[in-house]
Amino acid sequence: MADPEHQLSCKLNSTCDCVHVLSSMVEVMGHRVGLSDKQINRMILAVDELFANIAQHGYQGREGTVEMSASRHDDVLSFELRDYAAPLLKDEMLGWPRPDGEKELKPGGLGMHLMRSVMDKIEHEALADGNLWRLIKYLDREQEDEA
Amino acid sequence: MKLDITETEQANGAVRLLLNGVVNIQTSMALRKQLKPMLSAKQQHVHVDLSGVGFIDSAGLATLVEGLQWSRAAEGRRFVLSGLSDNVRDIFELAKLDTVFEIESQADAA
Repeated sequence: MADPEHQLSCKLNSTCDCVHVLSSMVEVMGHRVGLSDKQINRMILAVDELFANIAQHGYQGREGTVEMSASRHDDVLSFELRDYAAPLLKDEMLGWPRPDGEKELKPGGLGMHLMRSVMDKIEHEALADGNLWRLIKYLDREQEDEA
Repeated sequence: MKLDITETEQANGAVRLLLNGVVNIQTSMALRKQLKPMLSAKQQHVHVDLSGVGFIDSAGLATLVEGLQWSRAAEGRRFVLSGLSDNVRDIFELAKLDTVFEIESQADAA
């Protein structure tokens, strides 16, 4: 069970202009676990990209619910985003290749590349009524990278 | 969250866009709308000043790449970025786009 101080959650509409709510949550959690401003900015980017992918590709621009929770367990910082869109096939979205140069640049593929660059692990679970996405960062590694 | 876009014509005929706010999936459409006519006009030099931008995501980067592609389509065209904060520059670097764009440094701008 996560320490309540190290757990935050919220529920959003996928079409709302409220990504800043997610960003604020990431920022608060990042400060609580001692991340640098640069690392917090990167976490905000990863969460922003995942939220955008869910809105665009999961809900295909239609309205839908996205629940986000941020938590820390020991040295693992994770951001979970749960949607109620059609469950994606295994590796759909996660299997998108990194765009090869700016000619092929598409927000979806680049977004996934950015998430992979920033996080240590990205997990996806197809649920009966949606999808569960988990962005994971190992804090020990983070401190080593910063050193 | 919003993005304010101010367009000014410069003495050398260049057009300068000053952006203030966040360039993400919600706001990049407005930027694209503003940028598109510039990229189809006789314009030769477009300068995008990002000094008021605190955050950019892949949708924002993709919009700027349209400008880059326009500049490469004909001889003499320039699409220049400036005023990147450390956080915005970091995102360009993560996307490996920092070496692709013409980015004016603080010293160049001075």
